[in-house]
Order: sequence, then C-alpha cells, then structure tokens
Amino acid sequence: MDAGLLEQMLLGALLALSVYLPLRCGQLSLATPGFYAVGGYVAALLSTGVPAFAGTGATSPLPALLVEMVLAGALAGLIALAIGGPVLRLRGIYLAIATIALVEILRVINLNLPFTGGAMGIFGIPQPFAQPEGYVAFTLALLALACWLCQRLEALRLGRAMAAIRDDELAAACVGIDTPHTKLIAFVASALLAGVTGAVAAHFFNSWNARAGSFDASITTLAFVVFGGSRLWPGPVLGGLLLTALPELLRPVGDLRLILFGAVILLGPLFFPQGLVTAERLQRLQTLAALLPRRRGAPLAP
Amino acid sequence: MIPGRLHRAGTGLLALALLLAGCGGDGGKQPINLAGGVPVGAVLALTGNANVYGQDQKIGLELALKQRNGVGGINGRPLKLALEDSGSDEPGANAAFTLQINNGMLALIGPTLSQQAFSADPIAQRRGVPVVAPSNTATGIPEIGSFISRVSAQSSVIAPLAIEAALKLQPGLKRAAVFYAQDDAYSTAETTIFQQTLKGRGLDPVTVQRTQLNDQDFQNQISAALREQPDLIVLSLQAVDGGNLIRQLRELGYRGLIVAGNGMNTPNIYPICQKYCDGVLIGQAYSPELDTPANNAFLKAFRAAKGGATPPQLTAQAYTALQVVAEALVRLDKRLPLAGANLVEARKALMAEILSGSYATPLGEIRFTPEGEVIQSQFYVARVRMDPGGRSGRFALLK
Repeated sequence: MDAGLLEQMLLGALLALSVYLPLRCGQLSLATPGFYAVGGYVAALLSTGVPAFAGTGATSPLPALLVEMVLAGALAGLIALAIGGPVLRLRGIYLAIATIALVEILRVINLNLPFTGGAMGIFGIPQPFAQPEGYVAFTLALLALACWLCQRLEALRLGRAMAAIRDDELAAACVGIDTPHTKLIAFVASALLAGVTGAVAAHFFNSWNARAGSFDASITTLAFVVFGGSRLWPGPVLGGLLLTALPELLRPVGDLRLILFGAVILLGPLFFPQGLVTAERLQRLQTLAALLPRRRGAPLAP
Repeated sequence: MIPGRLHRAGTGLLALALLLAGCGGDGGKQPINLAGGVPVGAVLALTGNANVYGQDQKIGLELALKQRNGVGGINGRPLKLALEDSGSDEPGANAAFTLQINNGMLALIGPTLSQQAFSADPIAQRRGVPVVAPSNTATGIPEIGSFISRVSAQSSVIAPLAIEAALKLQPGLKRAAVFYAQDDAYSTAETTIFQQTLKGRGLDPVTVQRTQLNDQDFQNQISAALREQPDLIVLSLQAVDGGNLIRQLRELGYRGLIVAGNGMNTPNIYPICQKYCDGVLIGQAYSPELDTPANNAFLKAFRAAKGGATPPQLTAQAYTALQVVAEALVRLDKRLPLAGANLVEARKALMAEILSGSYATPLGEIRFTPEGEVIQSQFYVARVRMDPGGRSGRFALLK
C-alpha cells in the first residue's frame, strides 16, 4: 500500500476521533473540519511566513512542526472554548445546525482574511519529512496517543460522566455531574485534536485553502463515525481508515468506483446500524482470539 | 473487562496500520518498465464539478495517443497512456499523482485545475517527475518547480483580449460588472487580470459580485449587479456555475455583452445555458481555423472521432500536451535509449528534453521558457453562436 494513502487514512482516523469525542458525550457536533482548517492555516502561515519555522524552505525542522501543532491545537481549543458556552446550550439537530454554521463562518473568514491567500490558499508549505513514510510514522504516533487518551477516558471520572450524559443528560445532572462543563470539555478536546491534525495535514498536502473545512468535509467525517460505530473509540478509527482508503482501493473498477463507494456507505448503516465496531462484536473477536492459541496448543496456559 | 479488550483490539489495529506502513516506499533505482509500451500518465478531473473539462481533455489525449502510435510510437515501441481520475479536489489529485508516480510513469499530464496543481505538482517536483499541465492557467504554475511546465497560456495573456474585443464591438461601453467565484483559485486569479484590464481601459467596474463555486442560484448577486445598470458583464467562473449564471442573467433581463473567462471555454456549457449562451465572448488559445499540417491532422482525427464537430480548446491543449511529451521521448530515446535506462535519470533527462524542444502543434508553433512557461504566438477571441434550437452551437472566431 502507498504511504501517501496510508497517511490520508491516519488523518481520517484522527478526524473521526475528533467527531467521536463530543458524540461520546451525546453531542452531535459537525464543527471538526472548521477547527481542522484553522489548525492547518496556523501551520501553513507559520511555516511559510516565519523564518524560524520555515527552515531551509524545502525542509522544515521537526521541532517547528511540534510547536505549530501546539499553537494550532491551542487556537482551535480557544475558539471552541469561546463559542462552546452558548453553542452547547443547543441539543441534537439544533447543535448540528449551529456547528455547520460555525464551519461556514470559519470558511468565509478564511477566504476573505487578507493574509490567508484567498481561494488559492497558501502553497509551497515546507516539508518536515522527506518521504511520506516519515509522515506515516509521525501520524501513527499521534493517533496512538489519541487512542490511548480515549482509552484512558473509559476509566476516568470524566469519561464516565460523558457516558452518563450521553445515556441520559437529566439523570446525569441529578446525580451531580456538571453537565455544561463536561460537554464543554468534550467540545474543546474535539477542537484541539482537529487543530493538531490540521497542522500535520497542511504540511502533508503542501497547500492549504478554505476547502479543507467545507460542509462536505463535515459530512465525510460524520460518515466515518456512523460507519465505524460511535460507542467505542476503535469504531471511528476503523471508519476513518476504511472510508478514506476505499475510493482509492476501488480505482481498479474504473468509472464505477464512486458508485460502489456510495453503495458501501449506504449499505454499512443498513446492515450495521450501530456501526462496524460494537461491544458485542469486539467480545466475540476476543473469544475467538482466545480460542486460537489453545487449539494450536501454544504454551500459554499455566 | 471491556476496556482491556478495547485496549487489545486497538493495539491490533495500530499494529495492522504499522504493517501496512512497512509495505510503502518505492525503490528509486528501478529501470523503466517498458512492458506494453513507454509509460506516460495522465491525471484528469473526470468526476466532480470539473468533470466537464476532463471529458474534453480525455478525447484530446486519446487522439494524440492514436496519432503517435500510428506513426511508430516512440521509435518503434508503442506509447502507453495510463489515465487516472483526480476528482475535482486536491486530495484526489495528490492520490492520483502519487499512484501514477509509483507505477513508474516517465511523465505526467495534468491535473485539470490550477487549484489541484498547487497541491499535487510539488509531489511530482519532489520525486523528480516531469509534469506538462494541459489546462492550468493561474499565475505561478511553472514556478512551482523545475519539473513543472504547461502548454496552456496563462490567463494574464488571454483574458485581456476578450475585453478588447468587446470594446471593439461596442466602443461606447461604460459600466462593467464583474462576477467571480471567491472560493476558486482559477476564478480569483483571472478576475484580478480582468479587473486590471478594465481599469486600464478606463472602465472601472461599477460592481464586483462574489459567488461560490458550488452555487446554483445567483438571483441575489444578479439583482444587485443589474441595479447598477451595467452594459458589460465580465465573468470568471467555471463551466457549471458560469453557465447557470448566464442563464439566470438573461432570464432576469440583461441584454448587454457578456465576456467569460477560460473556465467557460468548452462546448459543455451548451447544455447548461442553452440558447442563453449565445453571444458570449471568450478568449481562445486555440483556433480551429489555423491552417497548418499539425492542426489539419488534429482536426481530421477529431472530426472522424466526433462526427464533424469543432474541437474545443481544452481538447487541443490536451492533445498538444501528449504530443510534446511523445516528441520529447522520441528525441530522448535516440540520445539515451530508454530500454535499460534508470527511471530517475530518464525522468530528469526527459524534463530537459521537453523544455529544449520546439513543437509544431494544433496550437501553432510552441516552445517553453527555461521555467516551463509556454511560448505561443497567436491568440484569438470567439463568440458563442447557438443553433436555433439552443441544443448545440459553435465558437465562432472574431476576425
């Protein structure tokens, strides 16, 4: 498999996790691509405009990328913090509409700011890695970190509070969970992750423009989660990886590939309404995995 | 219980991704794979909102391929063209470029849109693969790098001609209105040139209206523009949105002249604006009336394939792009036989060969600057003439 495609898959998985975080708290937010675009602009502007970040022009130093990621995450997080308060008073479909509006507002601002390069965007972004394999290793580490944090969340009070809000917000509030605060944390964490992902993506794609954060992208990232499953973090990761790869893997079928891709997206939720990854399926996989070594007679048993 | 299981599942997933990552990478020192012919790749927008251009370009490439293989290919070895769809966005173009480069293509033709070129061309540049762009007109494309060239003259050369032609048709023009798609690289680049030209001729635009690439309904912008009572409307829009806008413009009662940019320079606008396309002025880098052996051969091939129709500029430019690559390959193969040559070095030598040559093409005699910008001598202006039924029409050149 090509490393460039693998990198896009990993970026897709990170974005899917960003959509998953508010969903874990029962909040349907489509704002991820907006924060992703903001993060990308931070990295693009810094690495093309500030000599310390630009390196030699063609290659940029790795520490610069890390600083860009921190700044991109911080800016996206701050925007989320500022607007999260009023926006998160909305629920369900109204919240979704508000976040779509947010994505549109950010897009139009990005198109019209004097320093973001208009529709052409910013191009010639220096590369911290000479080969796509470098990006893959780096993004894989980032994804592993994000997955580990999501996993930790399951055991933390915050994670349990989020799950409680998802299952019944009123009941959660009754047992003393600070629901607005918890929802805000989930929203900010989602923005932060999207911003950091954008910073990596801007370098990888060479160029960055407002189309990175469009309504289409909102729907695509939502599809990752719906397809993969929204209950457990491996769901969005799997959805992000698969749905990013599929249009490319289908290239051999020629003109039919986008039709097939559409059919897969349609059939996925029809046959797996909870998404591909559910607790029951993971359990079954686990039992199967546990059976296999015993059959082979591997010396695992004490 | 569940967390532990999750953990293991996640570790497995990441291990799988790592494993896949290990499969990446391409050997830089491989020879050229000449099985089935000399490999050249094309990346066109065959789906998405730019597909109307990709369809025109595909025909041009197919005709050029047939022509080249009819006269002996690359010194007796057939030319092999691999066509990939880029969609109409940047990630699609990036993926298609990478795929073609990994498949060992000697040179790439594409991508269709300037916006895609800014994203995908640096990939080819980094990996040292020659790119000949058949339709990128935005400023700054050959400047992306030493491996990037184009046969499509940039809009700063062509766009002013259409304004001049409009002023010649109606010397008293005073009130120009400008439309452009603010989220499209081509539109914003071209409208700057249109507006400079207008100002240079003392025609300060009375209004500049911004639209979006994916808009369908332009009533607001049109009403705002018509309040200013313009007598000339200048559009920098792509085929689909531009066609819709012209239709709505005429339906809302505008009767004056319309100048359109290169984005509408395709007969595929006929089904969109139908009878309302009539009279639109568009600058041209190609004339079907050019009487040279190269153009006559192209015309004959096109008419044989498409039943008597007139080839659009995009088709002629795509034909030219493949012709340029093929002729450079023929010369290169004589100097440095492709069989047994190292792929990396052959790509580098091919780029130098492309830039150093002079080509008799349907566009006329063309050459390249050392940066890869095309040098072309003749440009034209066409006026769209629709048939009475409004189903079909032609681009009639202004004399």
